[in-house]
Amino acid sequence: MKTTIKTTGITLIMLLAALFTTNTVNAQTTEKTYIKIEVDGLSCPFCAYGLEKKLKKIAGSKDVFIQLEEGEATMSVPKDQKPTEEELRKIVKDAGFTPKEITFSKTPFKTKKDDK
Amino acid sequence: MYRIIGITIITLLSLHAVMAQGPPIYTDSPILLGLDGGGIRTFGKYISKENAKVYVQPVAVPYNFGSKFQVGAIAMFINKNPNAMPSQSGIGDAAAFAKYQLFQKDGKAKTFRVIAKLNQVFPTGKTDVNPALGNDSWQSQLGLVGGYVSLKYGIYGEVAYNVTSNGLPDNLIYNAAFVYPLLPQKYPPNQINLNVGLNGNFLTEVNSNNLLISSGVQWIMGKRVLFETGVQIPIIEDVPNGQETNFIFTFGTRILIF
Repeated sequence: MKTTIKTTGITLIMLLAALFTTNTVNAQTTEKTYIKIEVDGLSCPFCAYGLEKKLKKIAGSKDVFIQLEEGEATMSVPKDQKPTEEELRKIVKDAGFTPKEITFSKTPFKTKKDDK
Repeated sequence: MYRIIGITIITLLSLHAVMAQGPPIYTDSPILLGLDGGGIRTFGKYISKENAKVYVQPVAVPYNFGSKFQVGAIAMFINKNPNAMPSQSGIGDAAAFAKYQLFQKDGKAKTFRVIAKLNQVFPTGKTDVNPALGNDSWQSQLGLVGGYVSLKYGIYGEVAYNVTSNGLPDNLIYNAAFVYPLLPQKYPPNQINLNVGLNGNFLTEVNSNNLLISSGVQWIMGKRVLFETGVQIPIIEDVPNGQETNFIFTFGTRILIF
């Protein structure tokens, strides 16, 4: 009986250790870069649809969020797939808008979505 | 006369309305955005006059080459239901179009744009029925569309010359619109817009001018669907006695299929 309990305990500890290790690895590989793009010309909700579709096509892009009043688009990408500023400017221009300042950050940008 | 009414309804209302990506209801928009390459749009419109009811269901396939150049084709199903005659249904006149953006000035949450547009209407609608479903006329329309659009309001203007064949008079189209959003604009949209405008059609060869004042409401729900309704009332109408229009009521929906 004691042997069974001991064996089960060791197995549980090993499983937990494996789980912890996996999570640590995942945390490392999913490290994100957050991007904020100031976009001029975002004057109607229907217009923003094309920009959103183009930003969602960027490899690994997530949480694409467009704020019309602020004239901003925010998103996140895996750190190792971060697009260059030039690439982002071209995407915005191709969508029919004028790109302004582009900011990269290790932490998420505050959006109106977060205030709700 | 029915053919002239046909020009007004098909050319003025349906062609540019199906391509507009949001407001306004009765005037074209200079904004070519909202597509990522191509798409399919449909725009159902129910038009009611004293002497007839017309239902138009065009399907448009626009394609954007970059952000400044758009081409496309439009085919339409049409049902004409005059009060004094049996109704007719079928394929109406088809059209192809090209739009090119000439000017763009962007600011924060606002833009001013001007485009040139070319529409070519093909006489594919049946004309051996009464009422005819097509105009039996090749029509080439060259025009300019401009607009200042901000989150607070939009002002749009359009002028186009329509060259026709087969005995129809050429016509000069002139439209203007003011659009005012009643709800704060956000994305994804949930928007209600008020539209007011003027829609003119001057038949150059017969020196006949028709000017309508229009008013309408749009409800944009989500990224792909909007509903709109409006009424147009003539303020100048050069037509023979007994053929005057008191009002044109429309109800429509625009859907971006993909």
